[in-house]
Amino acid sequence: MTTSHVGLMIVFALFVSIVFATLMRDDPKQQLRFGAQLFAAFVLGGIALGWILYFFPL
Amino acid sequence: MRATTADREQSAIYTYLICLAAWAIPGAGHLLLGRIQKGITFLVALTLMFLCGLWLEGRLFPLEIRQPLVALAALADMGIGVMFFVARGAGAGAGRVVALTYEYGNAFLIVAGLLNMLVVLDAFDITQGRK
Repeated sequence: MTTSHVGLMIVFALFVSIVFATLMRDDPKQQLRFGAQLFAAFVLGGIALGWILYFFPL
Repeated sequence: MRATTADREQSAIYTYLICLAAWAIPGAGHLLLGRIQKGITFLVALTLMFLCGLWLEGRLFPLEIRQPLVALAALADMGIGVMFFVARGAGAGAGRVVALTYEYGNAFLIVAGLLNMLVVLDAFDITQGRK
C-alpha cells in the first residue's frame, strides 16, 4: 500500500465514499453510481484544492 | 393499555440494543435488522479504515477533559466501538508524532469513528421505521 500523500488521500476518499454511498442509497446499483460520483468529487476536489493552495504558499 | 406500555418499553429496549450493537461492532445493527449487504459493507469498510489508521501510526487519543481538543478526538475515536478498546488494550495506537503518516493515521482513526456514529444513527432510523 502506498504512503504518498495523493495515494493516502485516494484511499481515504475510497473508504468515505463507500460508507456514504451505502448509507444514502438502498439499491446496490445506485450505491455504486453514487459512490463513484462521490469518489471522483473527493479526488478531483482534493487535487483542485491542492493546486489552488500551490499559488498561495504559507 | 398495560400491554401497549409494555410493548413500547420492549420496543425501546430493542432499539437501544440495536444501537448498542451497531456502535460496538460496525455494521452489526444493520445485520441484526436484516440489511445484510449494508451491514457487511460497513463492517469491512470501517474495520479496514480503522486498521489503516493504526498502520499509519495514528494515535488513539486518551479522554483528557483538561485538553478539550484531545477529549473530542478521543470521543470520535471511541465511535468505532469495541475495536478502540481492544486496540488500546493491545498497546496499538500509541501514535508516533514524527512519522510522516501520523496526521493521516489520526484522520483515518477519527473519521472511521465518526462514520460509525452515522451508521448507528442510520440503524436507529431503521428501527423507528423512517427508512
